[in-house]
Amino acid sequence: MRLFLELSKISFQRQITYRAATLAGLATNFFFGLLRIAVLVALYNEQNEVAGLTMTDAITFTALSQASIAYLSMFRWFEVMNSVYTGDIASDLLKPMNYFTHWLGRDWGRAIANLLMRGVTIMAVYALVFEITVPQSAVQWLAVVVTLVLSWLVSFSWRFLVNLTAFWTPNALGIIRFAFILSWFMSGFLMPLRFFPDWFITLCYLTPFPYTVNAIIEVYLGIVSGPEVLYLMLGQITWILILVLAGQLALRAGIRHLVIQGG
Amino acid sequence: MLTSLHTYRRLISIKIRGQMQYRTAFLFDVLATAFITIVEFGSLALIFQRFENIGGWTLAEVAFLYGIIAVSFGTMDMLFSGFDPQFFGQQVRRGTFDQLLLRPVDITVQVLGSEFIMRRLGRIFQGIAIFIFALIMLEIQWTAGKILYLPAVYISQVLFFGGLFIIGATISFWTVESLEVVNIFTYGGNEMMSYPMHIYPKWMVRFFTFIIPAIFLNYYPALYFLDKPDPFNLPPIAHFLAPIAGLIVIFVALAFWRFGIRHYQSAGT
Repeated sequence: MRLFLELSKISFQRQITYRAATLAGLATNFFFGLLRIAVLVALYNEQNEVAGLTMTDAITFTALSQASIAYLSMFRWFEVMNSVYTGDIASDLLKPMNYFTHWLGRDWGRAIANLLMRGVTIMAVYALVFEITVPQSAVQWLAVVVTLVLSWLVSFSWRFLVNLTAFWTPNALGIIRFAFILSWFMSGFLMPLRFFPDWFITLCYLTPFPYTVNAIIEVYLGIVSGPEVLYLMLGQITWILILVLAGQLALRAGIRHLVIQGG
Repeated sequence: MLTSLHTYRRLISIKIRGQMQYRTAFLFDVLATAFITIVEFGSLALIFQRFENIGGWTLAEVAFLYGIIAVSFGTMDMLFSGFDPQFFGQQVRRGTFDQLLLRPVDITVQVLGSEFIMRRLGRIFQGIAIFIFALIMLEIQWTAGKILYLPAVYISQVLFFGGLFIIGATISFWTVESLEVVNIFTYGGNEMMSYPMHIYPKWMVRFFTFIIPAIFLNYYPALYFLDKPDPFNLPPIAHFLAPIAGLIVIFVALAFWRFGIRHYQSAGT
């Protein structure tokens, strides 16, 4: 555990050093959010509520989805793939720690740094410029925090899993990119899942993706409440278990397969 | 000029051959890139059943904008890969750009030839598919003028986006760090121009009319092709300004690029 926290701390510190990059990232997230809001406002066209989301909810959705990008590393995460290709994995495997836990620790530090620097800031800026929805009770805030952590765990365990394809192909980039793009669609990042036709929502819930961004959004907006929240969290935990297990199996098979080039 | 063209061809053919080495990986890359456009447009198409239109435009009309922008941005992204601010910033940081400066070949040609990302074909194919969908769904009244203007709009958009890439690349002479902010204008411009521009806040429309003339490259030509009224009431000539706007942007970009090169001091790596 101490090792885990130490790894988190180091990667946290590394993240917060890049202040200019953070600022640039914030500006970009904010601008893209403005574009998305304009599209949603035009789509709503004065309707009060669509699929259970008010206009204010839709704007808050945009803020939340933009705020999640850095926290859940939604655009790219090739770290494990890179470490397989560069051979760095060899020294990491020698460490007295499970390879998965090792990266989990590093990603936790990265995620927390981004949640604080980018996530919270984006929400604050949007709250200043627009009218946004805010959780109504302490219990709901608590649910938001728990969902945030579980979402990160779901996100990390599938990112780790797809990165492991690097063991079997010399160029896994295309495959991993594919998985990321799929996640934008099915996690409710591009559009709130509830806007989609029912058959598509059902399809999405067969994958782990809705348990990342969409879970955060629905709990934060209060679209799911009471026992439904617990049910959602149960779904998250189930997926975490499945993905972690799959990751461990793939890792074991991959390591047996792995040849480290000398030199 | 001719030698430049020859050099360019050789540089590009090396890049292409390199990328074709791993065929499966290449195919996956193309598919993944095409997938971005499918997914983005698909998410819009899927939610359209809940909404009637977007700012008075139907899905097919938005597809017209979306398709042509995807094709031209994809083309530009492939041709101007060497100027991609993210890639170019790395060249400056690593000092590989300094190596190019030492060679007795025109620097612009070398940068253009320094990268050529084939997987962008994915975006182009996908854009064509969306554009064809728009053509099938819409009954456009084709005239000789429209048929001639369509390729001109496409080329103008390629030049326009290329200009933005060159400006972004030039900025990295000073910032060294490749700044994510540049994405606001390139990828942001691409996203913005995929929708009818009148849905955006006034200040944003003004900025993308007078500072960056994006509105003349997609929105106004589309009004002409689709015979839609102009909510901003500009004179009718506004429909036909795409080539001028494209040329202005690329010329300003190239002038800025030359200025940047004259004042370039190596990162010292």
